[in-house]
Amino acid sequence: MSGPTTTPRSTGAGFGRLLVAVYGVLALAAVARSAYQLTQRFAEAPLPYTLSAFAAVVYVVATVALARGTGVWRTVAWAAVVVEAVGVLVVGTDSLLQPDAYPDETVWSVYGQGYGFVPLVLPFVGIWWLWRTRSGGEPGTESEAS
Amino acid sequence: MVLPLLLLVVVLCAVLAGWALWFVVRDRAVVLRQLFGAAAIEAVLVVQAVVAGVLQATTDHPVDGPLFWGYLVTAAIVLPIAAVWAFAERTRWSSVVLLVAAVTVAFLEWRLWQIWGAAA
Repeated sequence: MSGPTTTPRSTGAGFGRLLVAVYGVLALAAVARSAYQLTQRFAEAPLPYTLSAFAAVVYVVATVALARGTGVWRTVAWAAVVVEAVGVLVVGTDSLLQPDAYPDETVWSVYGQGYGFVPLVLPFVGIWWLWRTRSGGEPGTESEAS
Repeated sequence: MVLPLLLLVVVLCAVLAGWALWFVVRDRAVVLRQLFGAAAIEAVLVVQAVVAGVLQATTDHPVDGPLFWGYLVTAAIVLPIAAVWAFAERTRWSSVVLLVAAVTVAFLEWRLWQIWGAAA
């Protein structure tokens, strides 16, 4: 996977395997939770459940884009991780400032507390990894993985 | 939910996680025998699902069905996906992926136990 340094490396290899795996687990958790909330209890807390659904979609997009990891998928991955970073910060802050608006939890409530703060850390790891694997990145960095 | 079955899954997951961790430390990729281990866990998960289904059908144990089955199905698909993903990578990172997957399944089992017990 090394190739010339002018070509971005795939985000799905080496450490990227782990990143995609953790993203996949979070995507699965978010989708499962959201499906349950939307079908069983939507009327109880429309705002959190709509946010949960949105977060779930973003996590799925991020997982797929990071797994693909090249070409236009890199752009999609960038968009997804930035949306996640903004989402977890905004919703996390909002859930602390006006808890009444959140009668039930979302993935992003209190900065992802319900998920061990993984939703807070993950987008920044994603940004770091996309930066690290960009065009003209240091050659041979991937070999540190093996 | 039958506690022995649940504990069996958790113990098997712990063993697989420990095995994967050992491979991470030794800088080795996932080997086929570890996937057989994952398949054994899958087999127990299927038995667990059947037992849970029978218990739900034959007793009036109150449980939030969609929530419970959502977790059970999620637990069942984690390892196969992780196995495919890990096996495509022939470095230590595949072992890290398997480690994460095994810990995830164990965590989901714990949640299953909570959900089953919460309704009791």
